[in-house]
Amino acid sequence: MTMGVAFVAHCLLNQNAKTDGGARCPGVYSPAVAVLRDAGWRIEQMPCPELAFTGLNRFWAVREQYDTPAHRRHCQRLAQNVADMIEVHVARGEDIVLIGIEGSPSMGVCITSSDPSRGGRPTWPDGAPELTSGEGIFIEELRRELERRGLGFPRVAGCTHPLASHDPLAELAGLTRVLHEGGLPAQSGPPDAER
Amino acid sequence: MDGDARGFRVALTADGYVNPAPGGFDGLAVLDAEGWGVMQLPAADYPAATRARILTDLAEQVLEFARHGYSIVLVGEDAAADEALAAAGLPAPPRACPQNADELRAFLAAAPAPDGIGPDAAAAASGPGR
Repeated sequence: MTMGVAFVAHCLLNQNAKTDGGARCPGVYSPAVAVLRDAGWRIEQMPCPELAFTGLNRFWAVREQYDTPAHRRHCQRLAQNVADMIEVHVARGEDIVLIGIEGSPSMGVCITSSDPSRGGRPTWPDGAPELTSGEGIFIEELRRELERRGLGFPRVAGCTHPLASHDPLAELAGLTRVLHEGGLPAQSGPPDAER
Repeated sequence: MDGDARGFRVALTADGYVNPAPGGFDGLAVLDAEGWGVMQLPAADYPAATRARILTDLAEQVLEFARHGYSIVLVGEDAAADEALAAAGLPAPPRACPQNADELRAFLAAAPAPDGIGPDAAAAASGPGR
């Protein structure tokens, strides 16, 4: 039986889309996918906004570097497609969850990355304090598109494998918790950061 | 790509292999085990206009992988995907409609290796490495 539909960040099925240095495995990030499938959720893969915009050779970036009108328009177009898909499932009465990537400037659902001063030659040190509470650009645009359509916003969970503080068990527990919360999508604003 | 575990292999995959019917063949599990990334094609029951827009965007992303020499295959039949790939200027990738895990494994094993990604990347692409 299908419990509902999980719209997942592109890289959960395709780590090849990651920024150089970010792929944790060859293809499918199976820990998260296994949780979804074991719980009976249908999987729908969202697009990677960064891959099509800045390509495979992109640098690691923070929100501010992607927060431009042109990238917003790009994300809005992609978000409309995802919202079209979500709308189909909502009309069928199916439960929806959104699985993002914490720390991502595009796909973060509770944690994104921010550094207003970042730019120029990319020589920032590891461990720069860039993580901050909030959503990535694409997730923001998807929220706006769903709200514009009166669909509300799904429950969210974030995979944490890009974070230095990644705890595999906590990641899976978070996913499992969100899948089993049940109920209808009804968030009125961005979720509070978990950390 | 120090510390990067990507496989440089991408399978455009029909929805039925990602979300198989109960008791059906689970293509995603095989693709995972064989170290392939998946780009899921939209299910056939979405509106045609929605599918067309999604496939146009998807083809652009496939183009980026192709440009960098990643190995690309198509698992399943999808005429609209073929059109989108052609419109993006991509050659038709190797394709199959496997009915079981052995058929999919054999198809993936025969797929062209990643090309033009440098010796380090090619070594990383030689196996799942997990």
